[in-house]
Amino acid sequence: MDTSSLLKQALDYRADSLLQDWTSHVIAHWHSQHSLNDYEQHNLQQRMTVIVQALTPILLRTPVERFEFDPECALAEEVRLLVGEQARSGIQPAQTSYLIIALKQVLTQRLIAVAPSVAELSAALLWLEQVLDRLALFSFEAFVETRERIIVQQSLSLMELSTPVLRLWHQVLLLPLVGVLDTARARQLTERLLEAVTRHEALVTIIDVTGVPVLDTSVARHLMKTIDAARLLGTSIVMTGISPEGAQTLTKLGISFSDVTSRASLRAGIAEALYLVGRRISPIGQNGDVKP
Amino acid sequence: MLGPQLSETLPINNAMDIVSARRTARSLCQQLGFSNADQTRLATAVSELTRNVIQYAGHGECLIEDCSDELSRRIRVCVRDWGPGIADVEQALQDGFSTSGGLGAGLPGTRRLVDEFTILSDHEGTRVTIVLTRPYRMR
Amino acid sequence: MKIPILRLGRILLVSIQIDLTDNDAMQFQSDLVNLVAETEALGVAIDITALDVVDSYMARVINDTASMVRLLGAEVVICGIQPFVALTLVEMGRDLFGADCTFNLSQGMDKLHAKIALRADARYLEEDDAWPSAQ
Repeated sequence: MDTSSLLKQALDYRADSLLQDWTSHVIAHWHSQHSLNDYEQHNLQQRMTVIVQALTPILLRTPVERFEFDPECALAEEVRLLVGEQARSGIQPAQTSYLIIALKQVLTQRLIAVAPSVAELSAALLWLEQVLDRLALFSFEAFVETRERIIVQQSLSLMELSTPVLRLWHQVLLLPLVGVLDTARARQLTERLLEAVTRHEALVTIIDVTGVPVLDTSVARHLMKTIDAARLLGTSIVMTGISPEGAQTLTKLGISFSDVTSRASLRAGIAEALYLVGRRISPIGQNGDVKP
Repeated sequence: MLGPQLSETLPINNAMDIVSARRTARSLCQQLGFSNADQTRLATAVSELTRNVIQYAGHGECLIEDCSDELSRRIRVCVRDWGPGIADVEQALQDGFSTSGGLGAGLPGTRRLVDEFTILSDHEGTRVTIVLTRPYRMR
Repeated sequence: MKIPILRLGRILLVSIQIDLTDNDAMQFQSDLVNLVAETEALGVAIDITALDVVDSYMARVINDTASMVRLLGAEVVICGIQPFVALTLVEMGRDLFGADCTFNLSQGMDKLHAKIALRADARYLEEDDAWPSAQ
């Protein structure tokens, strides 16, 4: 019997329990790391059904020496969809790949059950292995791709959240920087700042760098550009939050932020900024009025 | 003043030797009657050169000697090492080169402090000779 | 060798009396900037009266120290440059110290106080409860 016919037999053998067998394998393996509720299981099984349907014609082809998996075929699409869902729900890549490995195991068992001879079994197994190994690799790659896309999206939204320009007081803005300052972020930051300076006619902007973990040449350069741009709009800059280590590093790199008033603590910076707009923070007297 | 020709050779192996070399240079200057300002000039020049030795060659030596003659008091200092040498001496002698303290930094400044300045540098080592000359003062 | 740093209220005073090795210099700078940050120091006086030779290396150490301190928001003065040291520095063509210089420590303190008086955080924060660390 040739391989295609043998495989057809294997697929037909107890065909109605194929899906269930496959699912049990997967769940048993996943159980320790990830359990599925009924809805999720139902969903998964629907996807798995479609995958078997798309896989079948490929398996039943005449075997070739080197199987090349077409990343645009219907099966690839289905796998991508499945894997995408998994990536989004936080499943580990190894677990996703196991899906395909489990399918291979289930189909192998069926092949062994129906094969008439060792020789025919070997030929069919070799083909089965080629196809499903490629599929498993593909599913892993697709998973990683999806995960990376998710990470990029997440970091973009984090970026949006962590560069707010705050109105501290009338004509005083506060820009607290948190996290890594790269070119994209610096550009976005500068745009936001200039926009805010214009909108609020800010006279002073406090740029706090307490949350910037690494102050090196590139970060300093980005900061300088932001500062220069802001100054062109007529706002003074007070920089706060440089750490002792940061001060040493910046100096050794030859960076001095010479035209910028710098204060170690935010409260000192706020005092300076308020002073520049003719304000100060005063204690309240006994009667609730401001002490002179 | 043709007194006994004073000369001393000092090893330059560590940071403390820099200070010794300075002190010896200053002391000889003083003995020879150089002004305070000149003493400081020479001590500073010696400091620059010997510091370069420590930083870039690890060790070397410093020869300080009186080579006064009838017309003027002269003191010569020769600092040498057997280190990797300065790749581009011409460049090192230009202002603005390695102001952050690279190899040969401080050489242009040092040259300005003294009356004679010669430098030889190759892969076998570096040798800088400086001379401070002043006419004898009329008392 | 550790260089002692003295506190006079919110001013720190440090006296450099010997040549500093690279390690000593880094240690000293680190100690100083940490103390400036911790105490929210308003001013630092670097006294170099005892230095009879300042070559380009030491000049850089002193300049760097002043820059670091300034980044942390404190005013800086360099006091007590010996006259011939000043002359030599000028002749060498070194960038002179970026900070203000004074003849001696006493003038240095005066200058610091004058600069601090112009600052907002000095004027208006002293009235408040100081942070516990700035006692």
